[in-house]
Amino acid sequence: MTAWRRESTGDLAAFERIMSQCERRVLRVALRLLNNQQDAQDAAQEVFLRLYRHFGDLDETRGYEPWLYRVTVNVCRDMARGRRRSIGLADVPDPVSPQADAYHDAERAQQREIVRRGLSRLGEKERAALVLRDVEGLSTREVAGILGSSENTVRSQICSARLKLRDFTGRLLRRRS
Amino acid sequence: MSCSKFETDIALYAGGDLPAGRIARVASHLADCADCRALAEDLRASQTLLAELRDDPIADALAALVHHRVLAQLRTTAWRAGFSPRGALAPLLALAAAVILAVILAWPRHAAKQAPVARVESLQLLPAPRSNIVPVRRRVVHRHHPAPAAQPGPPLLVQFVTDDPNIVIYWLVDRKPQGD
Repeated sequence: MTAWRRESTGDLAAFERIMSQCERRVLRVALRLLNNQQDAQDAAQEVFLRLYRHFGDLDETRGYEPWLYRVTVNVCRDMARGRRRSIGLADVPDPVSPQADAYHDAERAQQREIVRRGLSRLGEKERAALVLRDVEGLSTREVAGILGSSENTVRSQICSARLKLRDFTGRLLRRRS
Repeated sequence: MSCSKFETDIALYAGGDLPAGRIARVASHLADCADCRALAEDLRASQTLLAELRDDPIADALAALVHHRVLAQLRTTAWRAGFSPRGALAPLLALAAAVILAVILAWPRHAAKQAPVARVESLQLLPAPRSNIVPVRRRVVHRHHPAPAAQPGPPLLVQFVTDDPNIVIYWLVDRKPQGD
């Protein structure tokens, strides 16, 4: 019996194992989409509570990753809309603390920080498509399935997002150098 | 074709998303255009950085906290009772199943008891009230030596009484004329 099937019968321990397998992935996507640690934690918590509630409805043969990605994107989108109404995009705090970003290669860490900032400036749909495609490494078809769009739409979104990100990072990196 | 028209395809090409039919044209352009080659290199560099975000160590620390918060919420009695099949829903489901089973088992006997049976319990011969009886027109037979006409008796009303007091069957019977 798979962990997924056991969970559908109410085994909390099996659910915990499944959560352990994918909590970093969910949190990582939430972090990139919301650009805020506290919001990302709240979003990930909501995603897993929904996962627990809907275990019986999910198709085991299709796996749970597409479902988790889709719910993560939806929860983050709802949270971002609420946040936009309350504090505005310009007030979004820095995504990561200096301690958490302590890499040996300081220059590389600085470049990653620029990319994170660039991501946060993309539109909601472009950011979701780019995070799923280029950060998570999913195929265009998988991204289209998760976002409920056509593959052509996703290609258009990631193309536009890459060019905007390249403009942003290129400008900042040139300025620093 | 100007370089700006290649930008879109180059952005897709850098990420391996360009359809096969357009790759050769972009590759050919990149071989001739230094600016577009620089664009492609910038795009690849930012993609490498994006891919490195996948290994972000920050997720490890936050993940433990999220894990703890989710399990704490799941373990609270109220939450589990509301959503877990092993909580309060289980007795309710068992009760519902028992009721459905009882109805299914009781239904055939109950239905047989209630079905009205057209069984004749008694037979009563009653003279029908004259106002409800339509007279029967009989063919007139002319004979050379007419015998005295036989007079039909009054019709009989037969009443069938069934087990169901609401169902009574009436049957009108013509009496044969006497002497035929």
